[in-house]
Amino acid sequence: MGRLGEREAGAEVALRPIRRLLVANRGEIAVRVLRTAREMGIETVSVFAEDDAAALHVSAADRAEPLGPGPVIRTYLSIPAILDAARRSSADAIHPGYGFLSENAAFARAVSAAGLVWVGAPPDAIDAMGDKLRSRTRMEKAGVPVVPGSPAGIRDDASLAAEAERLGYPVLVKASAGGGGKGMSRVERANDLEAALAEGRRIAAAAFGDDAVYLEKLLDRARHVEFQVFGDGRGNVVHLGERECSVQRRHQKIVEETPSTALDADRRRKMGEAAVAAARAVGYVGAGTIEFLLDAGGRFYFLEMNTRLQVEHPITEETLSVDLVRAQIDVAAGAELPMSWRAGEPVARGHAIEMRLYAEDPVEFLPRSGTILEWIEPSGPGVRVDAGVGRGSRVGVDYDPLLAKLVVHASDRAAAVDRGRRALAEWVVLGVETNLDLLRDVLASDAFRSGDYSTDLVPSLLRKERAPVPDAAWIAAALALRGERAGRPPETADPWASAESWRP
Amino acid sequence: MGVGGELASVKSGVRVVSGGEEREVRLAPGVAALGDRELPFREIRDGGEELVALEVAGEIFPVRVARAGDRVFVWCAGRTFEVRREIVAAARTRSSGAADAGAGLLAPMPGRVRRISIPRGERVAKGDVVLVLEAMKMEHAIRAPRDGVVTRLDHREGDLVDAGAVLAEIS
Repeated sequence: MGRLGEREAGAEVALRPIRRLLVANRGEIAVRVLRTAREMGIETVSVFAEDDAAALHVSAADRAEPLGPGPVIRTYLSIPAILDAARRSSADAIHPGYGFLSENAAFARAVSAAGLVWVGAPPDAIDAMGDKLRSRTRMEKAGVPVVPGSPAGIRDDASLAAEAERLGYPVLVKASAGGGGKGMSRVERANDLEAALAEGRRIAAAAFGDDAVYLEKLLDRARHVEFQVFGDGRGNVVHLGERECSVQRRHQKIVEETPSTALDADRRRKMGEAAVAAARAVGYVGAGTIEFLLDAGGRFYFLEMNTRLQVEHPITEETLSVDLVRAQIDVAAGAELPMSWRAGEPVARGHAIEMRLYAEDPVEFLPRSGTILEWIEPSGPGVRVDAGVGRGSRVGVDYDPLLAKLVVHASDRAAAVDRGRRALAEWVVLGVETNLDLLRDVLASDAFRSGDYSTDLVPSLLRKERAPVPDAAWIAAALALRGERAGRPPETADPWASAESWRP
Repeated sequence: MGVGGELASVKSGVRVVSGGEEREVRLAPGVAALGDRELPFREIRDGGEELVALEVAGEIFPVRVARAGDRVFVWCAGRTFEVRREIVAAARTRSSGAADAGAGLLAPMPGRVRRISIPRGERVAKGDVVLVLEAMKMEHAIRAPRDGVVTRLDHREGDLVDAGAVLAEIS
């Protein structure tokens, strides 16, 4: 047997068609995966925790299997609960979505051991890339440039302090077992390092069960550019272009776009080659993403690899007219990557932008809960909304606060920005605080329109003043409070007295 | 324009706040007063009688509204606002209509007196919370509409009150 994912010459790769797919996730990604499975004529199974019984993703499948009451560790994060649901529903494949168990190698192995098809990355690749520090070492060996940082094996404070001096402040303390922007802290000077290391270890242990930390040089005004990669079981590995993800708040992405204004053809080619080399180095199969940082000088460095489908995958789908979930299912069933993918570099058509709608307080970014009283999605040409909620949905704080993604596609970047602004202006979300106004401010900003922005963009926008309340809004609110229906004045003597909830 | 007559007869309005701004809004058929500005307006509703737009002073604004108790979520001009009712019950004026000698705070809805913040005989400033009424599972702050002294306080904490009951008087 050759390296991971390679087959010996002449070996047959069995085609194992999938008949019934269970999606081990919730919210917008579950809805989105279920949609493709339905299009492919595959029977679908959704799973739900008790508090999700009325959720959109539940009724988006042919069958729904309950996972019981929370907490999450007993439902969407429970390997036995998910496998039990698969057994009860006679599913023959499982798609993990993103988050939850999607990058859990033990889960991947358990799915295969149960005789089901795992629509995800090989467990060894998940292991290799799950430890961020080890993956950096692996990439260096593969000749992929990495963000300058402390090597694996350097653990004690004194040695890390020496590393920090070598790298030059500011540095970032990061969790080896971490990811998704969590558990990182910025250190400006040597005096602050010891405390930051202690804090970093504490957070890492609590969040990821492993207190190992390492240092990375902090690249200021960096741009975050990632590449979609795809491998099949026959040794083919390709890249499908980049996504620019520099609009972030507290290291979480909120707006992504493709193509990236930071890449010319030459840089794209070099980064694409590095991305493919990285994926090959771990024998990758399925959909994955290599994340890079671009410094102010245009040099790129490997940041991390995500061994799953990425939240922002739709912008790649729109510009290349592909369905990545369909490809995931096909590859998992044993198919080879499409010929057009293997033939050469994909050429993006037009420009796509994704905007993420989060239920949260727009200033402190604390998650918000409530009931969505009104939900009207934007539509029209080049507008796609992947939502996990609708009118009447209850939004709690127990799950990720991502409600939906708005994806617009147009012929060029300026038209895509215009379309994004138009679509955001049409989106009605009432009842729960969201970051909708922040998204509007991002797309209206000079920095974003010009394409010359970095990870500093969102903080700079938060200093803006609030928009004044228009007269029509005051009047509409007064009408609602007066309890008026159908233009007729109310019958009661005190028109302002009623206080129940409804819409006028 | 002749609208002043209609509005003048509407003594009570609603005081609303949103993100640091506040307004007193009074409504009469076809005209609204925001503070001391008067604006003609027309409601545009869809087949299900849902409000979908307002024509205000000749300009059309798509709006959507959803209410939860004293909070109203408004989508207007492509932005979202949360507008809350401020409970300041209508001031009861003396029959002469001249400057008030005393202002009465009336319970805007039936409820229970949850907390008395300012005892009788104490000075208050306009906007101070005089007492808190609990109603419809929420707490409503009853505020002084003017500076003065609390000359009358008819209830104790825990008392149930009817809508319209005189809670306190500020002189």
